[in-house]
Amino acid sequence: MIDLIFIALAFSAISGAIAMIVYANPMYSALGVLISMLSVAGMFALLNATFLFLVQIIVYAGAIMTLILFILMFLNIKEEDLPKEPKKYTLIALGAVVMIPLNILILKAVAKLPAKDFNITNSDFGDIKPIGIQLYNNWLLAFELISILLLVALIGSVVLAKKRSSKITNTGDEA
Amino acid sequence: MISLTSYAFVSMALFSIGVIGVIARRNVFVIYMSIEMMLNGINLFLVTFARYHFSMDPQVVTVMVIAIAAAEAAIFLSVIILLYRSRKSLDTDIFTTLTQGEKS
Repeated sequence: MIDLIFIALAFSAISGAIAMIVYANPMYSALGVLISMLSVAGMFALLNATFLFLVQIIVYAGAIMTLILFILMFLNIKEEDLPKEPKKYTLIALGAVVMIPLNILILKAVAKLPAKDFNITNSDFGDIKPIGIQLYNNWLLAFELISILLLVALIGSVVLAKKRSSKITNTGDEA
Repeated sequence: MISLTSYAFVSMALFSIGVIGVIARRNVFVIYMSIEMMLNGINLFLVTFARYHFSMDPQVVTVMVIAIAAAEAAIFLSVIILLYRSRKSLDTDIFTTLTQGEKS
């Protein structure tokens, strides 16, 4: 049963990612990414990471992808604004050829590791409490740096948005 | 029987598709989503190894990667809006503002 769920999730994750690089319209690409992220969230659940399962759905699929879709609709992109990509499939094939050696290397290295049971356990592994204990005991400095990073990103986006509004008033009703 | 290699295959596939997207596409939105896809593949790898070693540290790192991705999303999307407003295009080849200096 778990094997079937894993295969379905892997299939939809990879096909969503392929849809992302194939479609010309960024809206369809964003929907493919959304499918892929939800499937990865399901894999987190299979790996007993319950807290990360929720975070993946809420933050990635919920917040970040909604932000991207909102921006896409907000910009109101026309068909002629999209860049022309005549060599897209050639470049995709070239990229696949470039990535194959790295994939083979990693998969061979991982296959040499001793096998372990990946079934879902009933312990509190991956719950929010052990993650929080670990985070505040051993990763406190990194946590504080992350908070500074988010503050800087917040200030940066506010500053960028402010600049844009002044630019619009300078150039008149061009927008 | 699902093993470590199955999860490694999926996460490497997601990472490789992200790299291919950055190489092959010229739409800035798709390039941004490809970067997100690379982060997602690595997250899956980290969580797999957390389960493999029954250790909590990789999951904490994953939380931090997600936080960094959120910060990146805020900055990246505001920069994209600025560039689209001034250039009316999503093509990466047009965004040569940083190399042209005073001319733009």
